[in-house]
Amino acid sequence: MERMSWLSKLTPRAGGQRAPRSASLQPPVTADPETCLMVFKNHWAQVLRILERRGSKPAPDDLSAVRNNTYQMLNLLAEDRPWGDGDKDRSQGDGDMACGPILEFVAAENLLERLLCWHLQGDFTEERKVEQLKLYEMLISQARQPLLRHKPVLTPLLRLLSVCAEPASAPLENSLVLLLNQLCVSVAREPAILELFFHSHTDQGPANLIIFSLLIPFIHHEGARGQQARDALLLIMAMSASNRAVAQSITDNSYFCPVLATGLSALYSSLPRKIEVRGDDWHFLRREDWIGVSSLVLFMNSLEFCNAVIQVAHPLVQKQLVDYVHNGFLVPVMGPALHKTSVEEMIASTAYLDLFLRSVSETALLKTFLRFVLLHRHDNMTILDTLVGRINSNSRLCMVSLSLFRTLLSLNCEDVMLQLVLRYLLPCSHVMLSQKRAVRDLDIYGKTAAKFLSLIPRCCRPESPPLPRERDEEPPSRARGHGSPGADAPPAPKPSTPSRLAFFMRQASAGPAEAAAPRSPGPPAGSPPRPGPRDEVAELDRNYLEYLRDARHSIDRCAWACRVWSAPYDGEEPRAPGPTPDPESPPGRPPGPPTPRTKKRGLPEEGAREAPGGPLGGDEPGAGGPGPEPRGGGTLVNGAHGAAEPGRPEGDVAVKKVRRSPQGEGEGGRGAPNGAPRAQPPGWEPLPSVDSLLEELLARVPAEAPGASVSIETFTEELREIEAEMQNGGVGGAPATPTEPPEPPLSHEEEEAFASFAALPEGDAGTGRAPPRPPDPLAQVVASPPRAVGPPPSQPFTGPFVSVLFGKLENMPHNSLYVNFLLTGLVAQLACYPQPLLRSFLLNTNMVFQPSVKSLLQVLGSVKNKIESFAASQEDFPALLFKAKKYLIARGRLDWAEGPGAVPALRRTDTLARSRKPSLGELLLRHANSPTRARQAAQLALQGLRDGGLHPLGPPARHGEALRVRNAVYCAVIFSEFLKELAAIAQAHAVTSPFLTE
Amino acid sequence: MNPFWSMSTGSVRKRSDTEEKTLSGELRTSPLRASAKKQLPSIPKNAVPITKPASPATSSQSTNGTHASYGPFYLEYSLLAEFTLVVKQKLPGVYVQPSYRSALMWFGVIFIRHGLYQDGVFKFTVYIPDNYPDGDCPRLVFDLPVFHPLVDPLSGELDVKRAFAKWRRNHNHIWQVLMYARRVFYKIDTTSPLNPEAAVLYEKDVQLFKSKVIDSVKLCSSHLFDQPKIEDPYAIIFSPWNPAIHDEAREKMLTQKKKPEDQHCKSMHVSGLSWVKPGSVQPFSKEEKTMPT
Repeated sequence: MERMSWLSKLTPRAGGQRAPRSASLQPPVTADPETCLMVFKNHWAQVLRILERRGSKPAPDDLSAVRNNTYQMLNLLAEDRPWGDGDKDRSQGDGDMACGPILEFVAAENLLERLLCWHLQGDFTEERKVEQLKLYEMLISQARQPLLRHKPVLTPLLRLLSVCAEPASAPLENSLVLLLNQLCVSVAREPAILELFFHSHTDQGPANLIIFSLLIPFIHHEGARGQQARDALLLIMAMSASNRAVAQSITDNSYFCPVLATGLSALYSSLPRKIEVRGDDWHFLRREDWIGVSSLVLFMNSLEFCNAVIQVAHPLVQKQLVDYVHNGFLVPVMGPALHKTSVEEMIASTAYLDLFLRSVSETALLKTFLRFVLLHRHDNMTILDTLVGRINSNSRLCMVSLSLFRTLLSLNCEDVMLQLVLRYLLPCSHVMLSQKRAVRDLDIYGKTAAKFLSLIPRCCRPESPPLPRERDEEPPSRARGHGSPGADAPPAPKPSTPSRLAFFMRQASAGPAEAAAPRSPGPPAGSPPRPGPRDEVAELDRNYLEYLRDARHSIDRCAWACRVWSAPYDGEEPRAPGPTPDPESPPGRPPGPPTPRTKKRGLPEEGAREAPGGPLGGDEPGAGGPGPEPRGGGTLVNGAHGAAEPGRPEGDVAVKKVRRSPQGEGEGGRGAPNGAPRAQPPGWEPLPSVDSLLEELLARVPAEAPGASVSIETFTEELREIEAEMQNGGVGGAPATPTEPPEPPLSHEEEEAFASFAALPEGDAGTGRAPPRPPDPLAQVVASPPRAVGPPPSQPFTGPFVSVLFGKLENMPHNSLYVNFLLTGLVAQLACYPQPLLRSFLLNTNMVFQPSVKSLLQVLGSVKNKIESFAASQEDFPALLFKAKKYLIARGRLDWAEGPGAVPALRRTDTLARSRKPSLGELLLRHANSPTRARQAAQLALQGLRDGGLHPLGPPARHGEALRVRNAVYCAVIFSEFLKELAAIAQAHAVTSPFLTE
Repeated sequence: MNPFWSMSTGSVRKRSDTEEKTLSGELRTSPLRASAKKQLPSIPKNAVPITKPASPATSSQSTNGTHASYGPFYLEYSLLAEFTLVVKQKLPGVYVQPSYRSALMWFGVIFIRHGLYQDGVFKFTVYIPDNYPDGDCPRLVFDLPVFHPLVDPLSGELDVKRAFAKWRRNHNHIWQVLMYARRVFYKIDTTSPLNPEAAVLYEKDVQLFKSKVIDSVKLCSSHLFDQPKIEDPYAIIFSPWNPAIHDEAREKMLTQKKKPEDQHCKSMHVSGLSWVKPGSVQPFSKEEKTMPT
């Protein structure tokens, strides 16, 4: 993993600080040890004269004399080496306590101790401390023999350190950290020394690693000092891995873990509450986004450090740290942060959580984050359910949430998938009983693919080209392709054969270099010149092979990753929980969802469903959907309301209600998002009360950290603050941010305008005609997360996640371009999972579901109808469609031109801050799971932009109608591509190599 | 896992690479000729060239013509899926490899390890009808007509039809044909034989039958190193043991059982996560590993 590689950074650094000690290096000119000793003694005699002058205060001259002599002496001591050790191995001397003549002398005279005593007697100013620290640092780093194992060196050193424990000026702290770092490097080289540190009694008490406790306050510091401290600590952590005693002393006698974890809390509290909006397409934090935000950099440094510690430390330390991160950061800070009342804060915290999840690489740490997301309950709802509900919101919160789920899905984590989807499918109550066995069927004849492709709206099909097609174009690949269509056989590694390639060469050559490169060893002679814009648009009709290839790749990846899962989820294993272990899904037909939930949610839902039908239908043709679903507009999507219609007045009303009383009794049922299961299945870890934990934590920390009291106090303070905030925040509305809209009741027109606006494609920015984002705070309002509610009683329920996604999908024509990109990407990601339960639910079109369960196919069918009826109502649809394609492609290409190397890489770490200009291309390119769609879009020319930045779909009007049209047209493009993607995924499932899953 | 299988493709590859070069040079100039090449080379009898443009199977799936161009993908993917099923079956001693030129033609070899046909190594070719999966059952033709009641003594074709009177999509799969081909050598059936002589001998004079079988097995073995009957980069070729090539390959097969995985997933350093206890459906139900000391 290239996510966080602390050690690789660390090792060279640690080594580099050390002066070269190789024996081959020429010792100084004064190499003769006899002479050196003589000189040394001479210096000492001079110092001694001053030291022994008792009583009187040392004169300034004395001070400088001592200083100079000491400097010379320590230099000599550093050069000193055991007798006969001249240029031979040092290892020999390591066994016994052989020491050089000067060291012997130093020990005999107890010279260093006496020197230090003298200093301590007098006015030991900071300046002098710094001097001493520097001297020791030089001595330790340059010594040619192990010094620390000798008490006469170690004892004064520890004494000096304990004198420096008090917080002090920056220069002193710098020197102190440097010396400590140096000590750690030495100890890391000679772990035996560590014992001595334990046994050396200092003011800090015995088994208390003074080095360690001195370093801890600097954990979260910024700049070089913090970095050195963390590096040093990490060395000790690494030592703990093989030394249980050290590990135990860290966990039992130091406050390392609590400081580290609660430090995250403190640092989190200083993160921006609001992420500055840079464009409508922004939806997740990239490195270049946060690298300039110092508070975030600080946080990420510490998180990275946690990650590194967990990577190297002893399991004892690991476990303690992970627990503290959970109970000292995630639960008390992250939890409330995610539930802030202002949309801006929700957006920020969601984006942060996404960033953290993407950044953490250590499994143990990731586990704790996931456990928090999946199991922790805040206000009686799991974080997961809260987040799922937010997909249903409007605006950026939806996009940020979608990004977070993209991250979650990309982990290929069984636990996540279980909670999100699989557990709802396990009882198989969504399929007809007779169909249960079909769950495992693979569609090997491409029937599913054919079905998906047949859903491409008539108005988007190549047969009805937007503009008359040039006649010189070759017919679609059917004629040429027969018998040759090729995807490389998985197990039989056929090389991309020229014959196969030839058929698709035009396409490849039209694509970006990256797309063509891997599979085309050489384009055919006379590779066609870059096609004109019309051809480019036409290319979109023939990119199926690329979808196949991507699908293949994604499924292989996913199948490979999922081989660590505990069960195949094939309808038989694991068995759906019976009545005893899981009261949530009682057995019997229909098992349905837990009764408590249905009771609570189903009923209000019924009422809510009837209401919104009216205000909407009139001016949103097809919104209610003449879909295949006979029930029309307000149908349930697998148990949940297909709400998500942006601009439904009720939606916002609901939000407000929820905000006001997230826990309210009366509204509770209604406000609870998406049929989230309430009852916690048994066996889930009951989390200790946050407050008690926090208290314990806070109570404990300073007590153990005398040396670090100041920083700890800061933490405490900050934690208290956070605590207070979280209390306010939890109860609703109290600390409303200034940005919080006054929320007057909204007229329908306003809503409509807002809906289209909130969904306004950002596209204009690149063309310089971007409409400034209006200050309208409503744009930030959540549409209706808690609206989509559980199913009516006794109906099978496929889970809130699926419901929300399907609901949002059904609404595609009204979603913004960006939402649709993310949304379709997420569904495609889901479709790549190889588990038969999930695969059959999404992709098996032969499967007969229970009547109340909507299938993906049905949802897509209704979108198709909406698009078609929209196209019919829009005279210039073909022209608009053509422009939209051209424009999308042009935007994509712009980005490619800017930096083809800067492609998706979710975990890209090294890219320097790029232009912050938001561009569609960025979004396209980061559409992680569907590189093809991005690539397709990126294929065509910069034409549009060169042409003077035309916006394809008319001037960026605020007018609701224009935006509605724009969204629908973009949707038509995306939808068609999405269907191809799904078709390709369906096909690729049938040919997954058995080697991947075995 | 079938190590042989991976080797067979691997070893054939070397050869095909060079062939490919010449091929590609040719194809480069005229891509259209490539599709003309996509036909079966002539075979002894009843060869069905698959150059007919749209087969009923594919065109029927594209009723409205909108996605007609996807038809070929369905066919090829179906065959790929069939092949995947074959691989999953792990039929003992049976190895197949789709040809380079057409997914409708598979080369195969079968090793008989017991019984009357012990030590038999029979190469064969499977021909899949181009209207698969809605057509007849695939044909299986041995390179050399093995002496067997169900194998045509002239063409070498195995009587597959008796087992798959009607080929039913979704029910019948190519691996079943292969399994059947293997089975006939262990359980000999003499009813309505393609080779009446063999059938009669088996019934009346097993000793003579046996000696004829031995001759047949020997004959096949003696032609093992012949050039493949059908020239194709992916044809299965046998060659005498060449330590320079085969030692290393064998070593690899023996030492790295998981090799195909590794190869396949070279680029995939992904690993999923799971803390679910097997049998449980609760997240994080797996017990923590005991702390190492």
